[in-house]
Amino acid sequence: MLEVSGIDVFRGETQVLWEISIRVHLGERVAILGSNGAGKSTFLAAVTGVLPPRRGDILFKGESLVGMKPHQITQLGVAVVPEGRRVYREMTVAENLEMGAYPKRGRAQLKKTMEHVMCIFPVLAGRSRQPAGTLSGGEQQMLAIGRALMSRPELLLIDELSLGLAPLITKEIFRTLDNLADEITILLVEQNVEQALRHSKRAYILESGRLTRSGISSELMEDDDIRRAYLGL
Amino acid sequence: MLALATMNGLVIGAIYALAALGVSLVVGIMNVINFAHGELYILAGYFSYILADTLGMHFVLAMVLAVALVFLFGIFVEYTLIRPTYGNDMYSLILTFILSIVLQNAYLLIFGPYPNKPPGWVGGATHVFGAFYYGNQRLAALVAGAVVIAFVFVLVKKTWFGRIIRATSQDREMAELNGVNTTRLNMLSFGLGCALAAAAGVILAPVFPVTPTAGVPVALTAFVVVVLGGMGSLWGCVVGGLILGLVENLGAAYISTGYKHVFNFIILILVLLVRPAGLFGRREA
Ligand SMILES: Nc1ncnc2c1ncn2[C@@H]1O[C@H](COP(=O)(O)OP(=O)(O)OP(=O)(O)O)[C@@H](O)[C@H]1O
Ligand SMILES: [Mg+2]
Repeated sequence: MLEVSGIDVFRGETQVLWEISIRVHLGERVAILGSNGAGKSTFLAAVTGVLPPRRGDILFKGESLVGMKPHQITQLGVAVVPEGRRVYREMTVAENLEMGAYPKRGRAQLKKTMEHVMCIFPVLAGRSRQPAGTLSGGEQQMLAIGRALMSRPELLLIDELSLGLAPLITKEIFRTLDNLADEITILLVEQNVEQALRHSKRAYILESGRLTRSGISSELMEDDDIRRAYLGL
Repeated sequence: MLALATMNGLVIGAIYALAALGVSLVVGIMNVINFAHGELYILAGYFSYILADTLGMHFVLAMVLAVALVFLFGIFVEYTLIRPTYGNDMYSLILTFILSIVLQNAYLLIFGPYPNKPPGWVGGATHVFGAFYYGNQRLAALVAGAVVIAFVFVLVKKTWFGRIIRATSQDREMAELNGVNTTRLNMLSFGLGCALAAAAGVILAPVFPVTPTAGVPVALTAFVVVVLGGMGSLWGCVVGGLILGLVENLGAAYISTGYKHVFNFIILILVLLVRPAGLFGRREA
């Protein structure tokens, strides 16, 4: 489904990612783990077209995304829940969701999808007329996920779901994602290694812009090096 | 005298509000200040003058066509002058400033320094509030201004276009990730901003004839209105426009006509002292 091969990504003149290759198969839950500044968000920026790679290729369902604009990539069925949620604070919850459905693939069944999203996150239903800026952090994260789902994506990219959220809320949202239909493939990027490993099938470890490890999440969880470096055990 | 000055204030205030909405839209989405805003207001006045007076078109058709032409001109300006400058707001400032001077001189060359006036829509006067007679043309201008402002509100609050405008002015990159083609949106909204200046121009031209430099004070006031009302606020534009229109006319009636623009800046300074973000502005903005 997503096939990233050997991309180098720069921010300005500074190289941030070196030869990153990642594969995500249909219906899979894959995590990319790394500490602050490892380049996780930069990787997602490359996939979404915000920061095109200088070298390498990104294929989505066999089609190259390199050279496409973010809005074109969205139309193909890639949706992102960005770091820090970035809801439209002065627009209502309902309007935020509608914005998510702006791509043609989302607009056709807007009503139905919105009902579905409100069913997944019932808190949003009660607050649909409220400005998004008045929601709590957890609710904003749910809104950001809901907004991404509104475009009926095939691939959902999630950047730092747990950022700034209470552990209990993080757990709840992760569990909701586990229950999402299998047709949505999820690639999540996390600093919260434990949660991410628990809720993914495979994982890659990113360190200072380079992939250093990859493997089955449950096996990585048992790995001594990983436990020492990331889980504080 | 009070009632007359108030009416005059409302008419000109509605026009300021319209012009300010155009400025606010473009600043909100593109972070670009179009210094030629006033010259586009005048351009529409000239267009409607040529179309209605010289070519003998019906005045409504002439007005609509004039606004449409300025809209297209705005799109052309965005494409050729503004788009290459993204990422450096200073360049667009300088370029539109040059454009305003070029246009002023072109008008002078083509039309001369004399005032030109498209035909009025209605004649006669109406007895208002049982107090005085007020020119029908001015009343019609007030109504037309209000209608266009209402149209802008509906456009921004109720349509997809409005939704993507608001989303883009809040978080451009996120809007792009939500599928908005922001390059095209820039072009359309710049054109729309120019069209709003044009709407103000065609509405007011039958009352206040156009001259090559008559756009300067209007644009200046529109900029003041945007800051006064608060960046990015529709209501701010409307309330700010009306306040300045009223202050200007009441001041002229009771104090002196010479200080028209001084009053505007005194009001602006007073408001900003109390509310630094403007009347309806957001704190962070
Ligand atoms: N706008 C920018 N300009 C220049 N360098 C940047 C910019 N944003 C990030 N960087 C640098 O790029 C590197 C990777 O940043 P990135 O945001 O991708 O890391 P991250 O893994 O997402 O970190 P975090 O966990 O803090 O979100 C860092 O060294 C950072 O300093
Ligand atoms: Mg990050």
